[in-house]
Amino acid sequence: MQLTRLFAMAVVAAAALAPARARAEVADVNTTHSVFFEQPTRTKMFVYTPGVSAQVTPWDWLDVRAGWEADVVSGASVAVKAGPAYQATHPAADVITAASVHDLRNRARGGFTLRKEAVSFTGGYSYSTEHDYRSHSFNVAARTDTYDKNSQFEIAYARNFDSVCDRTQVSDASNVPVHLQALEDSTGCFTSTAGRTTHSIAIDSFQGSWTQTWTPVLATQLVYTAEIQNGFLSNPYRAVIIGEGLKAQEHHPGNRARDAIAARMHLYFRPIRAALRLGVRGYYDTWDIKSFTGDVELEKYIADPFRVTFRGRFYKQSGAVFWSDDYTGGDRPLGPKGQYWSGDREISPFTSVLVGVRAIQTFAPQRPMLGIISQLKLALSGDVVQFKYDEYTLAGEPVTNARAYIGTLSLTAIF
Amino acid sequence: MRAIVLVFSLSLSIVTLSACSTVKPQQRAILADPTMQFEAEPEEGAVRQHALDNREGSMGGAGVAGGGCGCN
Repeated sequence: MQLTRLFAMAVVAAAALAPARARAEVADVNTTHSVFFEQPTRTKMFVYTPGVSAQVTPWDWLDVRAGWEADVVSGASVAVKAGPAYQATHPAADVITAASVHDLRNRARGGFTLRKEAVSFTGGYSYSTEHDYRSHSFNVAARTDTYDKNSQFEIAYARNFDSVCDRTQVSDASNVPVHLQALEDSTGCFTSTAGRTTHSIAIDSFQGSWTQTWTPVLATQLVYTAEIQNGFLSNPYRAVIIGEGLKAQEHHPGNRARDAIAARMHLYFRPIRAALRLGVRGYYDTWDIKSFTGDVELEKYIADPFRVTFRGRFYKQSGAVFWSDDYTGGDRPLGPKGQYWSGDREISPFTSVLVGVRAIQTFAPQRPMLGIISQLKLALSGDVVQFKYDEYTLAGEPVTNARAYIGTLSLTAIF
Repeated sequence: MRAIVLVFSLSLSIVTLSACSTVKPQQRAILADPTMQFEAEPEEGAVRQHALDNREGSMGGAGVAGGGCGCN
């Protein structure tokens, strides 16, 4: 909290010291607070995400940004996963266990944008740390406006140097993955404590986008994203029952190439003062997960500084090629599927539907508030996500009524 | 080779199509409205996207800058 206050004071000071000619709207500060609550069987995951960010424009050709956010996580996670076939032959065994999770992720970021005429260059860096995960991320982007600013083209690249904590396995376990044991907890991670080791994860992401205005009320955007992940991509805490009396740490492939293409359209209806936003996205990766996402939003001005958005989202994905709900079950859809195994519902086939609403109120007084704030913007939103898992069970017990709630409050001050 | 030809053809089509648009600067009032921005309310959007990304097997189509796992 003290950090947040110091950060805000620094931005206000920067705004006050900026050159006089750029003093109109020279900086903005945002604080966003979000809560996420999920209530599928046995987890009850709760995440509180506070954040603060600021941008200063000391000269027309330069933006400087900085920010911080955190994830305060509490709840439970499935530590041992089994399916219906195993449970049927071991009816008395409680093979699904849910481990308590309490974690704190802090992420600090900074960046800048340089502009010259129709071209801008952006660079940034972020560092995040959790009890069991660390990440250094660098990103660069270049953007240009052409054809009377009717077209924008942007290319971006990001590189992550991440590391994840794991248990030190017995000497030959890495060569025989069925002997790998899951990490018990994060105690001793990133220290020289015996029994702990670190794996690296490299992530390269590329993105290209084309934004186009077609008429005074119609704009479209096409985005292509590619990502290559290399390293330890399993959940170190999760174990899967893969045979009689055989419980092994989740074992995912060490490489994954991912591609996504998205198209969006924004159309404004003057008579009702509302914008309709439509979006579709297709995704494919080398784990054979295919997904489709459809988005629709309608944002309408109720009164001039007050607007409301109604939104919906449909998402459907297939499972990874090695996904199974029960690796002891014999034939498909149960049973082993090659050399990898997983207990993650995130890579199982499922469908989700989101509905939400957002309200934004802008305050722009004639005279600056407190002498320096020219505008305040308050945004409140709430979303409900309903998940329907096609195959994922907890020892044969279907996960029905899996639902997540997301609430967000965001306040922006423009100086 | 086929992929290179496809990318080249797509790029050429995009550049050609882009030139067809003739929205004048004085006609941009609505396009500049916050409701018509592709990156409006980035903070609120990023939080929601982060929560969804951690519960889905896919990603992309939004932005590449990121960091951390946050995937409990």
